[in-house]
Amino acid sequence: MTGRRSSPFKTSRVLLAATSAGFVVVLSVHAVMPGRKAIAGFTTPPSTTPTSTPPSGATRSAIGASEQFGYGTISVKVTVQGTHITAVSVASFQPLESYSQQLTDYAVPYLTSEAMSAQSANIQGVSGASYSSAGFAQSLQSALGQLGL
Amino acid sequence: MTTSGIGVKSQGARPRVHLEEEVMGTVVTFDIYDDAGVAPTLLAQHLEMARTSLHDADRVFSTWREASPINRLRRGELGLREMPTDVTDVLASCMVARSLSGGWFDPWSMPGGIDPTGYVKGWATQRALEILLRSGVRSAIVNAAGDIACAGDLGIGTPFRVGIVNPRSPRELACVVTLRGAIATSGVYERGPHLIDPHTRRAGTRVESASVTGPDLGLADALATALCVGGADVLERIEGIEGYEALTIGSDGTQAQTSSFPLAE
Repeated sequence: MTGRRSSPFKTSRVLLAATSAGFVVVLSVHAVMPGRKAIAGFTTPPSTTPTSTPPSGATRSAIGASEQFGYGTISVKVTVQGTHITAVSVASFQPLESYSQQLTDYAVPYLTSEAMSAQSANIQGVSGASYSSAGFAQSLQSALGQLGL
Repeated sequence: MTTSGIGVKSQGARPRVHLEEEVMGTVVTFDIYDDAGVAPTLLAQHLEMARTSLHDADRVFSTWREASPINRLRRGELGLREMPTDVTDVLASCMVARSLSGGWFDPWSMPGGIDPTGYVKGWATQRALEILLRSGVRSAIVNAAGDIACAGDLGIGTPFRVGIVNPRSPRELACVVTLRGAIATSGVYERGPHLIDPHTRRAGTRVESASVTGPDLGLADALATALCVGGADVLERIEGIEGYEALTIGSDGTQAQTSSFPLAE
């Protein structure tokens, strides 16, 4: 409750685990509709059927089919107002087992050597004083969660 | 990634579901490690309810929102009888926390009027976890930017592990704890001094970082605030509170802890 003012917009963040260099990419997406969120981990996310021929300017959203890509399976949610795209977010992300191993091989040493002391491996969270959302530990903690540390 | 509801690996275990929600001026994450085979739709419903409960807490208790009930109470526009039951529940718990902390946590001694903020974030996060657990989920962590409530473990006999940030060097950990229940850490770093000593009503702390573990994150949060302000006196009091343990880190890096603080090996 302390700290900076809440944004009037919802922000859903989905972490996509990343490149062979071990960086962690944070997609921060502003969604127009409160109450929507991205859930990672569902193989078959609930799909939203777009309304046919909606009135001009109506806000609609839909989740695309799960697609294979280089690092696993992903589905994307898009929100439009009329014909204007107002938000794009990742609705689900299922990394390949081999990619998980790749992340373990590259990202883990990167994170542990660059960011944390060696003892930090295999933790599920970081406790510290009131981090801002952009704070290092929050990002790291999320990344660790995604990477399974 | 495992697709069964059980058998989460202890090493390199990843949460089956990960959700981040921006609320209460921070980011709250939900990580479900063992969903016990709960149907995705049921799980999604409970995640939604848990998420909504956080926004409800923000609406009621945010001192940053002019028209929030807590601000209207502070300004005297509304009385306690006109408050949502969450407010009276929280204030009752705050009275308990004030008593347990020897007055070092005291929402009634804050400049600008009654301010239960030091309890609310933990309380709201604990409530969100409990809502989620009603779906049948066995093992999950809800983390409000470092104040963490968990249930279950990584697998039978493998508790969750949580790092405590080194206040002198926030990119490093001072130590790792095995977590059953909740942990809250209070400190003056990153955002600068912002904790008020209820005895002087001015900003002041006796340690750089104070962590409290225990079954309830609301009380842990309040006690961590008290411990950061009060130091050794509060550490001694927490020693006497069943189920709660604490650790402080001083400005010179010195650590002090209660007898059973769950440091990981």
